[in-house]
Amino acid sequence: MGGFSILICDDETDLAGELGEFFTTSGWSTIVRTTAPDALEALHGGLAPTCLLTDLRIGEFDGAELVTAARRLPPHLQPSILAIMTGHVVDSTGAGDFGVDFLYVKPIDPDVVLNDLELLLSVRGDAPQEG
Amino acid sequence: MISWSNKARVKLRILPLALIVTTVCLFAATTLLYIWQNQQRAVMSATVQGSGWVAYQAQLEYVKSRVEMERAVARPTGTALEALQLRLELLRSRLPLLYQAEEGKLLNEIASLKSGVQEFEVMLDTMLDRLPTLAPSEIATSEEIGTWLDTVEPLGRTLQSVLMAAVAYNGDLYRRERELAAMPAIVPLALLFISGASLAGVLLLQAWRDRQRLAAVEAATAALTAMEENLRAVIEAVPASMTVIDPRNDTVSFINPAAATMVDASPDHPDWQRLIRAALEAARLGDGPRGTLKMTFAKANGDVVSLCGTLCSVIFEGRAQTLLVLMDETRVRDADLQLLQAAKLATLGELSTAIAHELNQPLAVIRMAVANAHRMLAADGDRTAIAGKLDRVSSQVERAKSIIDQIRRYGRIPSDSLDRFSLRHAIELAVGFVAQQYRASGIRLTIQLDIPPELMVVGEQALFEQVIVNLLVNARDAFQEKALDHVPSVWLRARSNGAEAVIEVEDDAGGIGEEMLLKLFEPFSTTKSVEKGTGLGLSLARSVVRQMNGQITAGNMWAGACFTVVLPVSAAVPAREAA
Repeated sequence: MGGFSILICDDETDLAGELGEFFTTSGWSTIVRTTAPDALEALHGGLAPTCLLTDLRIGEFDGAELVTAARRLPPHLQPSILAIMTGHVVDSTGAGDFGVDFLYVKPIDPDVVLNDLELLLSVRGDAPQEG
Repeated sequence: MISWSNKARVKLRILPLALIVTTVCLFAATTLLYIWQNQQRAVMSATVQGSGWVAYQAQLEYVKSRVEMERAVARPTGTALEALQLRLELLRSRLPLLYQAEEGKLLNEIASLKSGVQEFEVMLDTMLDRLPTLAPSEIATSEEIGTWLDTVEPLGRTLQSVLMAAVAYNGDLYRRERELAAMPAIVPLALLFISGASLAGVLLLQAWRDRQRLAAVEAATAALTAMEENLRAVIEAVPASMTVIDPRNDTVSFINPAAATMVDASPDHPDWQRLIRAALEAARLGDGPRGTLKMTFAKANGDVVSLCGTLCSVIFEGRAQTLLVLMDETRVRDADLQLLQAAKLATLGELSTAIAHELNQPLAVIRMAVANAHRMLAADGDRTAIAGKLDRVSSQVERAKSIIDQIRRYGRIPSDSLDRFSLRHAIELAVGFVAQQYRASGIRLTIQLDIPPELMVVGEQALFEQVIVNLLVNARDAFQEKALDHVPSVWLRARSNGAEAVIEVEDDAGGIGEEMLLKLFEPFSTTKSVEKGTGLGLSLARSVVRQMNGQITAGNMWAGACFTVVLPVSAAVPAREAA
């Protein structure tokens, strides 16, 4: 499945790059940002990605705030899927606590993430964007 | 112990002086009295010998001469004239004796008549010269001699007065003799006795004072001996090793049982020389107060003991020697190290979440790189790109390894040796351990290290890093459950201040309660929950800093708490040692 777009935000440059490469080779249109302000700027700039995958802690910026900001965008600019990844141990915390669709704990399995996203998109009936 | 009032002491000082003065005065008086009596006796003896006899003889010759004159006037025969001649010559010879005798010297009445008597001597000489020229049996001769009777009349009166003066003087002599006889002979004896008694009093008093002083000296000597015996007993009883070293050749003069147990009972054992050299070197190089030292010593059985102690000068066996006191703090040190280790492990537990996060980052990159490499391999992709993925995996493995090394370094059991280490490097290592935790907590950590890498301090580096980590973790925890309207910030500053290095950890979390400030460094004092803190961190931090001869204090600044660590900077190592 291809034609979807994803905005990846993580201050861990290597990880963000590898994630971007993975989704790119999976046929996704990928945008990588290593700071939250850059990601916010992209969202406000009309990027409207299919998915937003962000680290929970990006420098001094809270990834949850980026998710909140994405949710406040106009409906046509909001990502269909919001996902957070974190390096912390989150035994009793779930995606619902952050108001997102998925919460991943690093090191994440990219195939699992890809499957989760594409499965949810198919369930929701979202069509791939025209590339 | 005899105690006297000041008044009594003054009296005791004046009394001998008064006795001495009295003795001297009495002795002088006795001497003068003796001299006077002797003089009186000599005068009486001399005058009694004369006792007016000369005046009497002269008076008698005068009367005889007048009789012969009157005979010659009545019948101026040759025989009469010759008899007169003889009498006048005798009278003439008596006159000088009047003033040459003792009476003449002693009695003013006689002495004053000397010139008058001498005139009579001239008169008699004239008569004696005239007499041979007179013709016997002549009326003229009779008449001339008749005029002589009148001429010698004054001589008769003078001789009478001299005789009367001599008689009166004899009377006076008699009176004085009676007075001397009446004077009790006991007086000078009594004076001499009193003088001698005063002298004896002086001697007795001085002897008494000498006895008092001797008793005081004996008492002091006895007290000193008892004190020395007590001190020796104490020295032998104390568990500390006490050794007296002869500084002339650094040999052992005395050892107590504890020292004998630690090294050897024989002062000649070669291990003593090894210990003494090590102690002197440790005291010379030590950064602590003068004379204090910390050292390790390998005992004969192979055990290495941790020692602390002092070197000081003492008077032993009558000469200046060096006392070396050493305490075996191996057990205390071991207990401290175990406690520190427990606290470190507790800190590691607290940091486990942050450590997991730190490790998950490289793992995440590795997993993603491996996934992408697999895809490249499946698509028979570019080998160079695949090698790049492997390099990335390798670098992330190194990154994970460095994190684990840091944890292992932090968690290792600290040694009990004190070494010189770079203060800046140690602070940087400690900061590296908690930096991610700060990032994860959203706390801004500002590092300002105004010290060169070559600035050295002495201590156990791992323990000092633990101190900095504890302070930074405490600063982080100070922001827990606090609603802040600003970005939480912590400042870590280090600067050199002369011979000291000052390290400050300050936060803006609102400060520490006054009550807690007072007991902040006491064991088990904590404001954290049981899960968060052991309450030992600051207590152990103080132990570590004190062991480094430094100080740690806490106070509240404008917006939060500030912990200050002051450490002595280690002197530069001589080139010989550095080599």
